[in-house]
Amino acid sequence: MIYTKKTPWTLIMGVIMVAYAYMVSAGMMEPLIKLLHTGKHAGEMVTLGYWFGGIAVVVGLWQLLATPKQGQADYYISTIGGLMFIMLIAFVVKWGLDPMMGLWGKNAEPALGFNFAKMLNLNYVVMGIIAGIIVVNVFKIPEWAQNGVRLSRLGLKTGVILLGTLYSLAELAQLGKLSVVLIGFFVLGSVGLVLWMGARRNIPNSMGGVLSAGLGVCGVSAAVAAAPVVQAKSTEIAYTIGTILLWGILMMFIFPIVGKAMDMGPIQFGAWAGTGILNSAQVAGAALAFQPDGIETLKVAEIFNITRVLFLPIIVLWLAVWYVKREQTDLKVNLGEVVLGKFPVFVLGFILMFALSSTGVFAPAQHYKGKFFDNSEAKLVKTDKEGKVHSKLLKDEEVATLQAEVGKVQREDQKAAIARLMENKKTMSIDDDTLLRGVANAKILSKDGNAILKKAHGAVYHTAGKIKMFRNLIAWFFTFGLVGLGMQITMASIKQAGGQPLIIGTVVGATKAIGALIVVMMFVHETI
Amino acid sequence: MFKTRHILLASHDTDGARAAEKTALALCPPGGTLHHLIVVPDFWKGMQGDDWLNNASTRDIFGRYVENQLEDEIRLHVQRLQKLAAKRRIRYRPDMTLGKPTDCLIERAKRTGIDLVVIGSPRPRSKAGLRSRMDTEKLTRALRVPLLIVPRPK
Repeated sequence: MIYTKKTPWTLIMGVIMVAYAYMVSAGMMEPLIKLLHTGKHAGEMVTLGYWFGGIAVVVGLWQLLATPKQGQADYYISTIGGLMFIMLIAFVVKWGLDPMMGLWGKNAEPALGFNFAKMLNLNYVVMGIIAGIIVVNVFKIPEWAQNGVRLSRLGLKTGVILLGTLYSLAELAQLGKLSVVLIGFFVLGSVGLVLWMGARRNIPNSMGGVLSAGLGVCGVSAAVAAAPVVQAKSTEIAYTIGTILLWGILMMFIFPIVGKAMDMGPIQFGAWAGTGILNSAQVAGAALAFQPDGIETLKVAEIFNITRVLFLPIIVLWLAVWYVKREQTDLKVNLGEVVLGKFPVFVLGFILMFALSSTGVFAPAQHYKGKFFDNSEAKLVKTDKEGKVHSKLLKDEEVATLQAEVGKVQREDQKAAIARLMENKKTMSIDDDTLLRGVANAKILSKDGNAILKKAHGAVYHTAGKIKMFRNLIAWFFTFGLVGLGMQITMASIKQAGGQPLIIGTVVGATKAIGALIVVMMFVHETI
Repeated sequence: MFKTRHILLASHDTDGARAAEKTALALCPPGGTLHHLIVVPDFWKGMQGDDWLNNASTRDIFGRYVENQLEDEIRLHVQRLQKLAAKRRIRYRPDMTLGKPTDCLIERAKRTGIDLVVIGSPRPRSKAGLRSRMDTEKLTRALRVPLLIVPRPK
């Protein structure tokens, strides 16, 4: 079979991208960039525009002029059109719609009394997914783009794998423990609740099985994995997937709004979204919607997501055994086959990247939140091209402020750390930094005193160049993946939501979301 | 009186569709042909939704499983109608297709010399079932042959 379609669109998209990159580099887009305040993206507009545009031009010409031959190369090249289609939408949304919506939100604030763009989190992630949903449901995905759109899954998996570079051992251990407890409780609880409700409402075991996997573990993915195992009927699958998609999309919009209204921080929101949202893609979407200009929330949410995904083979196995016992069928449950077949291999990639990162390949080992500790003079005091010296060491008046307030601190070790800080005008070790952050978080000192401690912390932590690159790459992989995933969410499948699954799904989904919110607000703190 | 030697029946094994089946069989004379159109709604193509966690093999297993499920359901449906048609010495021509029910029916009605199209009345909104309805307005505008909508049994 020949997969490559003869289409001028790949070439056209390539020309648009290259032309845009050229116009930005030539300064022709300056008025628009100034208006939208997108100057910080100018570099990536040029780089990504030339790279993706160049590839699209070459492949587009090949698609038009060459005669494709059957084979792997033909299939891989046939995906480029769809890939560029998603990227073009992502470019428009990130560099155009997102800042424009921000501008409109600000302008409309005096009239409305609130900033609608901020309140509804209309940032590039949310709008990217909406754009994808609009494309598939209103315009349909063109045939030449269909193979490429399927690649969006790969984008999300690659994003998760690369996230492995950003965790420190301490963070991963702390978040891992927290996620196992929360996810374990809520996954098992939701599966149990669905099966219990299902039995009370007399739904067939097959429906209870597929619904419990979807509502308990990770949405559509779990329903897809569990349906053949519990021999779900076609209508049961349609009901379940429709219900999960409907809930997933609603929650993706509602969670960030509630999270901001409740003044949640990245750790609390990430933990809540990772536990309470049914669909894994929507977890990523909600996390990025909550914090579009940073990936701290995504990092936390994804740890919860990965933990949940690791529960998938266990739950599918449990459901298989449960179903066979209840239905007395001839179905044979092969433990090894279920666990191996459903094991998310990309999680191994995440672990590998984390292991590599821990060796110090990407940033000095023991980096924390993507940053590493270095208090050397070379890092703290820099001279610019004009010979002006920029120092991150504490100033005399800052030392004086600390001197005046140090008496408020009761713990001897914290007092000693502050004394070393005042003496050297910089944080002297990671242990000292931990102690000083403890003082700042406990708000023992005045506002000014806390600000000085935070400044001292910021001065000795540096983001490695490679980590910065990974952050950008991760954000782009997720953007690509989420726009593409939006293109796979059809209203026709959401419309299938109904019947008993919708009732049970609403009860269990709401219980899970509210229960997770209460637990997170009570037990999860913003520091780890 | 119009001839009803070629009846096109669109049904998918629901209460309304079964009423339509009965009527179509009653209207078709012995020796006549009952063309039976079964549409698998195209929303199934998007039924993997936003699944991105599973590997290709799990997705394939799911895809094959759903296909087999739909095929089994259709096979049973066809077998039942085939028996009823044979009893009445009616030629039975089943035809399965994937797409939007209304478009598929219009397309199918155009292809051969159909005398009458028979469908069941739409399911009440409160009644459970797949959301894949015939657009009767579009159908009546597009069909060039009479359309009989059989009411659901009470």
